[in-house]
Amino acid sequence: MIKIEAIIRPNVLDAVKIQLDEIGVHGMTVHEVRGAGKQKGYTQHYRGAEYAVNLLPKIKLEVVVPNDQAEDVVDAIVSAAKTGEIGDGKIFLSKIDEAIRIRTDERDNAAL
Amino acid sequence: MLQQPTRINKFARLIERLKQPEWRQYGATIVAGKVTGVMLVFCVMALVASLVGGAAYAQTPYNVKASDIVNPINTLWVLVAAFLVFGMQVGFTMLEAGFCRSRETVNVLMECVVDTCLCGLLFYAWGFSFMFSSGAGMHGLIGTQWFFLQHAPSTYEATGVSFLAYWLFQFAFADTCSTVTSGAMIGRTAWVGDLLYSVGVSGFIYPIIGHWAWGPDGLLATMGTAGNFLPWMGTGFHDFAGSTVVHTIGGSVALAGAIVLGPRLGRTFKRDGGGPMLPHDLTMATAGGLILWFGWYGFNPGSTLSAMDFNGCGRVAANTTLAACAGGLSAMFYGYPQTKKWDLGFTVNGFLAGLVAITCPCYWVSPGGAIILGLVAGVIAVAGVNFLEWLRIDDPIGAVPVHMMAGIWGTLSLGLFACGHYAAATPTGPDTMPGDVLTGLFYGGGITVLRAQVVGSLISTGATFIVAFAMFKGLNYFRVLRLSKAGEIEGMDLHEHGVPAYPEYALIPSAVPAGALGHVAPAPSPTREDTTVGSGH
Repeated sequence: MIKIEAIIRPNVLDAVKIQLDEIGVHGMTVHEVRGAGKQKGYTQHYRGAEYAVNLLPKIKLEVVVPNDQAEDVVDAIVSAAKTGEIGDGKIFLSKIDEAIRIRTDERDNAAL
Repeated sequence: MLQQPTRINKFARLIERLKQPEWRQYGATIVAGKVTGVMLVFCVMALVASLVGGAAYAQTPYNVKASDIVNPINTLWVLVAAFLVFGMQVGFTMLEAGFCRSRETVNVLMECVVDTCLCGLLFYAWGFSFMFSSGAGMHGLIGTQWFFLQHAPSTYEATGVSFLAYWLFQFAFADTCSTVTSGAMIGRTAWVGDLLYSVGVSGFIYPIIGHWAWGPDGLLATMGTAGNFLPWMGTGFHDFAGSTVVHTIGGSVALAGAIVLGPRLGRTFKRDGGGPMLPHDLTMATAGGLILWFGWYGFNPGSTLSAMDFNGCGRVAANTTLAACAGGLSAMFYGYPQTKKWDLGFTVNGFLAGLVAITCPCYWVSPGGAIILGLVAGVIAVAGVNFLEWLRIDDPIGAVPVHMMAGIWGTLSLGLFACGHYAAATPTGPDTMPGDVLTGLFYGGGITVLRAQVVGSLISTGATFIVAFAMFKGLNYFRVLRLSKAGEIEGMDLHEHGVPAYPEYALIPSAVPAGALGHVAPAPSPTREDTTVGSGH
């Protein structure tokens, strides 16, 4: 099993969910995070003073899928989340040792 | 037994049962219930009889005289205005809460509520007496009658308004002043210090200094006439609804407090590369500002104390509106070049400054004059915020520029913009004596009014600032004014009140001032611990 962690712009979340739905991935975990990479941030102004906003709001999406589905999921996310501008985000893949469905005690691929 | 008991059997059975304690209790309960039922029926009968059975009496003839209508109408007007002014408490609460950080919000909310409650009781006990009664032998400095509202007449002085209604109206004003004072002291004032200085402001500073301008024998009110203070002045100090009495006094106390307290921990200033701490809810702040504007429609027009001067009421309301509109726009435009952004904080403070400024002259200026002085007030709000920032004074909501500085401007502007048609509002209509009319410098009235306004403003503001500064220094000496460093780091709401304002959310600010990273705030006034603070918070 492979975990796909995608850090994406908040406004593309709905498009990504639709894409994942189309390839049959329905379960996911979504976090609201702040982060920075190449995208440097922006400057706020308030009462005449400047504020550097370096940590930008992003969405982190986590999906765990069987090994053979991982490539499709990555393609789906990239196609929905890419805008071509700096700040599109990153995707990380890692191996998952074990997965359990709490309700039925199913293991591994049956739990996904 | 299956057969139906006969009457004789029932009676024998009753005798047998009465020998048992449970059956006796049961019987007593039944009897009591029946007696209660009967009594209820009797009560209903009596009630119905009293409602419909009485003899019809002819009404004694009652002719309504003009004066029987005037006092009730004026009292009603004052009461409605008092309710509107009290509604400003909601506005202040929202404004202050919106502009502060989420970690100090509960403290701001508590302060607004508790200082209202304190003010009510203090104003009942001696505040109203100090401020609005005459003081024999006190040289117009303080009142000495009606403590605890005892032995008071049924109406207040010549207004004809019900005494307690007038008390309520003035309580709402006192409450406004005491809420203004908390504005510049947000986020680092210990609760005990909060309570004590609220007592000082509501119980002593506001009523006594306010007496000078608004008391029946007030020093500044009676100024300029023979036998009184500075008889050569030619006219007294005028403050229609309290630019000085409520707002400048409140703003001056706030300034004294902000200076003695020092800035919040971690606060850096623009001249050191930092800037103000970000507000946590601009929606709340703006809505609060607009609610204040709404309440101002009781604050200013209600100060006519007379619905019979209906033209005066209309004029005051219109002037109030126009000054606010002008102030909001001028602040927005004046603030634009600084950062090339249309700043919401400046705009809200701008219209509030316009409202504060018009509060003194609203009865005597024309709508055109109201617009001009509102425009200036908006500029003062922005310039004042920048000035305080430059002085390294932490004023989270801009209370000092909006209330103290715009209040002084409004007070002085009467001497410029009084248009020469209006004198005063009386219970039966406007005062039409030509000698009482106020004319300002721009309308050919010379400097008479302006001079009196300058003197009155100087005396009130100076006295307030000195007394307030001394009070805060005293509280600081006893270590009750400033929150402990540990408390401020832990989070004021948790430390003083045990609960954060938003327990469900983990909140971190989105940004720090661009040049602030690595800078440390200047050391605040002495606190319980003397260890130096680390960088940031």
